[in-house]
Amino acid sequence: MIASIATLILGFVIGYLGQRSRLCFVSGYRDFILTHDTNLLKGVLGAFIGALGGFILFSFLGSGILGFPMLLQTTILTRSAVIITIVSALGVGIVGALSGGCPYRMHVLAAEGKKTYWVYLLGFYAGLVFYNLVTTHFMDMVKTVLK
Amino acid sequence: MSLRKVKVSPLQAGLVLGFGSALVQAYFKVIPPLAYGVCMVCHPKDLFNWIADHLLHLNWGYSLASTNWPLLTVVGVVLGAMLAAYQHGELHLRSVRQPLFYFINGFLMINFGLILGACPIRIVLLSAYGNWLGIIGWTCVVIGVLVGTRVLRWAAARTVRRSEMA
Repeated sequence: MIASIATLILGFVIGYLGQRSRLCFVSGYRDFILTHDTNLLKGVLGAFIGALGGFILFSFLGSGILGFPMLLQTTILTRSAVIITIVSALGVGIVGALSGGCPYRMHVLAAEGKKTYWVYLLGFYAGLVFYNLVTTHFMDMVKTVLK
Repeated sequence: MSLRKVKVSPLQAGLVLGFGSALVQAYFKVIPPLAYGVCMVCHPKDLFNWIADHLLHLNWGYSLASTNWPLLTVVGVVLGAMLAAYQHGELHLRSVRQPLFYFINGFLMINFGLILGACPIRIVLLSAYGNWLGIIGWTCVVIGVLVGTRVLRWAAARTVRRSEMA
């Protein structure tokens, strides 16, 4: 239950800050590509620096940051995992650019009362049902083929 | 009563988001998987599947972090953004445009995101954790945005050409 409450509070804070700052993890790259505007890109870098600082701090304090940093450990990357990561990440980037933002930004815009993004979220959650019914089985087949 | 306008830069918001995600992993058991403090595709999936599992016994999977109680990040984000918008007079109902386009985009986004196992936020967190797949994924998300932006430019140029010809 502690994780539920913690994520609810963290979600509330980042939802509030996201509405005030227009933070977006797709528009940051898009704005930089289109107009060399670094304002939103700084938010992405801020998240990276904040997370990195937090992981370093809490791993020194010895609390719950298991196996950090993973770069220094021997990890075996399977061919299927790399291919699936590349294809799906490209898909996330393309769809994010076309729709104008990341899922976080879309939830914030929907909360502002913009019905266009309600429709986006309708598709989002319909897609979740589809994922559970179809995509997971399809991906099992893909993983078997790529092995 | 007049409310003070809150101004936050994206950098400040990003720092809070990144540090907060490390904090909830370290002290509030939002783990496993690793670097799971904030994810806007996996946490909605956990919540949705947890409810489906408990109400309808559908046995749809969710992460170990959500075993007893679901992660409520998405609920918090919506409530927080709604409060901020209300406080600053930005909470207005606005009509729908291009509904089919946005529906399909939402549909595709969660499917690609769940195949990846991360949203554009968690891919940054995974990279900060030093996960190789996170770094590869982050690079490919940026390349994907570059491709998507090119498509948008091409579509805009085509629309201009057509309107000039008409």
